Amino acid sequence: MLKPSIISGLLIVLLCACTAREVEEKGIITVVFKHGKIAGDPEPFRRLLDQFERKTGIKVKDETLPASTDEQHQFYVINLEGKSSDFDVLSMDVIWVPEFARAGWLSDLSGLLPESARNEFFPGPIQAVTYNERVYAIPWYIDAGLLYYRKEILDKYGFSPPKTWQELVETARYIMSMERGLYGFIWQGKQYEGLVCNVLEYIWSNGGDVLDDGKAVIYSPENIEALRFMRDMIAEYKITPPLVTTAIEEPTRHIFGSGKALFMRNWPYAWNIFEREGSPVKGKVGVTTLPSFPGKDSASTLGGWQLGVNRYSRNPEAAEKLVNFLTSPEAQKTLALTIGYKPTRNSLYRDRDLIREQPFIAGLYDVFMKARPRPVSPYYMMMTQVMQPELSAAISGIKSPEEALDSAQKQIEYILKVEE
Amino acid sequence: MRGTDRGNSFVLPALLLLGIITIYPVIYVFYLSLHRRLLIFDISRYVGFDNYLFLSKDDRFWNALWNTVYFTSVSVALELALGLSIALLLSRPFRFKGVVRAIVLIPWAIPTVVSAKMWEWIYNTDFGILNFLLGIKINWLGSPFWAMNSAVFMDVWKTTPFVAILLMAGLQVIPREIYQAARIDGAGGWAVFRRITLPLLKPVILVVLIFRTLDAFRVFDAVYVLTGGGRQTPQRHCPYTPTRSFSRPSSSDTAQHYRWLYSCVQEA
Repeated sequence: MLKPSIISGLLIVLLCACTAREVEEKGIITVVFKHGKIAGDPEPFRRLLDQFERKTGIKVKDETLPASTDEQHQFYVINLEGKSSDFDVLSMDVIWVPEFARAGWLSDLSGLLPESARNEFFPGPIQAVTYNERVYAIPWYIDAGLLYYRKEILDKYGFSPPKTWQELVETARYIMSMERGLYGFIWQGKQYEGLVCNVLEYIWSNGGDVLDDGKAVIYSPENIEALRFMRDMIAEYKITPPLVTTAIEEPTRHIFGSGKALFMRNWPYAWNIFEREGSPVKGKVGVTTLPSFPGKDSASTLGGWQLGVNRYSRNPEAAEKLVNFLTSPEAQKTLALTIGYKPTRNSLYRDRDLIREQPFIAGLYDVFMKARPRPVSPYYMMMTQVMQPELSAAISGIKSPEEALDSAQKQIEYILKVEE
Repeated sequence: MRGTDRGNSFVLPALLLLGIITIYPVIYVFYLSLHRRLLIFDISRYVGFDNYLFLSKDDRFWNALWNTVYFTSVSVALELALGLSIALLLSRPFRFKGVVRAIVLIPWAIPTVVSAKMWEWIYNTDFGILNFLLGIKINWLGSPFWAMNSAVFMDVWKTTPFVAILLMAGLQVIPREIYQAARIDGAGGWAVFRRITLPLLKPVILVVLIFRTLDAFRVFDAVYVLTGGGRQTPQRHCPYTPTRSFSRPSSSDTAQHYRWLYSCVQEA
């Protein structure tokens, strides 16, 4: 009868020893790092954390959040609003930082990223992590919209990759009339965040915007024209199949990857999949910046993730060290080489090893330089909920672009009024 | 005098309880509706009737309201007409009356989520039994018009038994003697129904109408499961916003002023 009690006693001692506080007393600090699922093989990422542990003597416990970014956002909002100190470092989607900063949930990291060091990063992510001139997160990896095209088909008909949207329409229409069963241009049009990313690229490349100096300007002639053009690609020019109005990234990647489309708008991740052994389009895909409207600049929507420190963390210095380490040139290079996360530091796009291993990456420099963050506002998450249904209604022809944008304008004005 | 005082003090706890759980929330909701609140940003401002003004200019609100009114009036009218006919039929004496009554109740007994899922399959364009039986190909849940009426039909199927059973109970308390007297006076079937059954059934009909109108007005689960609240099909763009707002603490403000709007979800 004595034995079980000894065992359970031992267990209790062991369990206690594992809690963070006990460890801290012995001088070992543990930092908890929350992040989304690491793409591909998690092993290289763990090795990187081990390297940090050896270097600093700080232990890192990395915890994976649910796959959907909406659920991750919800997790953070609930826990941070409840002043949780269960995690120290958090990874954030590019659109969350101003909201979290405004709510007072993030430590000011301006010290880690002084003015002079900011030009080592691409301008888009820096803009996205800056709120009231203070930096609240460090850009970790970057994403941006790209135009994928079928090199060999364009060559066959003597076309070069389109510079303007109109050229894209003409090229697609001509080639579709010659090649049967080929979609012209596919993109992501389902009612979700990705739709906003897509639409912004047309709006920006027509000189329009959603916010200007904190004021809603989404109802503008440029934006109406841009949105009407998107609808026209489906209904008028018929280069885009109606299925895009329910498509997210992966379905479009599958269609393009099986050789059934001429052009596709997608993020950089698709490239590596197209170049894999056994891919029907291996060696036949080209990538370029997105087209624009005549006389305007091309623009692609910025994506990617940032690292911040929980304001309620018990070990802010250790947490900052981890953020600094993971966003360092060395760590970003390792992550780029092993799991394909695109670095946020622009100098890495001239790195010999990286270019030799992934020649594709050099070409992304221009795209990332031009990548624009979605409206940088603490109210973005509310604004996108307004935009998604309106934009969806416009591209599926339920509302006219004027009606949709007029309604979005009024609703965004209403959201922003809360600050007055 | 003393007696009534004692009585009042006995009722008092019940009144207090009712006050706390019903009157206070109603007043508090109204108080909240005069504010703009964003909990995560610690914003709470008195805005008067601004929220109402915003709603009055919001076409999504009017659309949702119209859909709700349409859904409620059509479904309740159909349920009452069908339910009354079934009740009249089932109160006649016939063999296996108990069994038939039990069978009629089945749609009402099935959990809403299950029956909505079932109807989603029945309405399926390619594999649904409805299109198969009719020999046509209509995307029942694909267009706003058909989706709305499909939802009404599903609701009628599900709740007619409820109406029927209540009316049946009402019919049973009408004294036989009145019918016998009417027959002796030479009243025909229609006259008996109009002059006796209907007037005496009125209190029960009123109760049924109140129940059903309230239920239909706040229907959520059935339509949400049937059409996914408009999540997949862009045609039904309106319902998505409020349902999402509910699940997002960060937009507590949005959620708040959508609380009135949640019926919007039934914009099938």
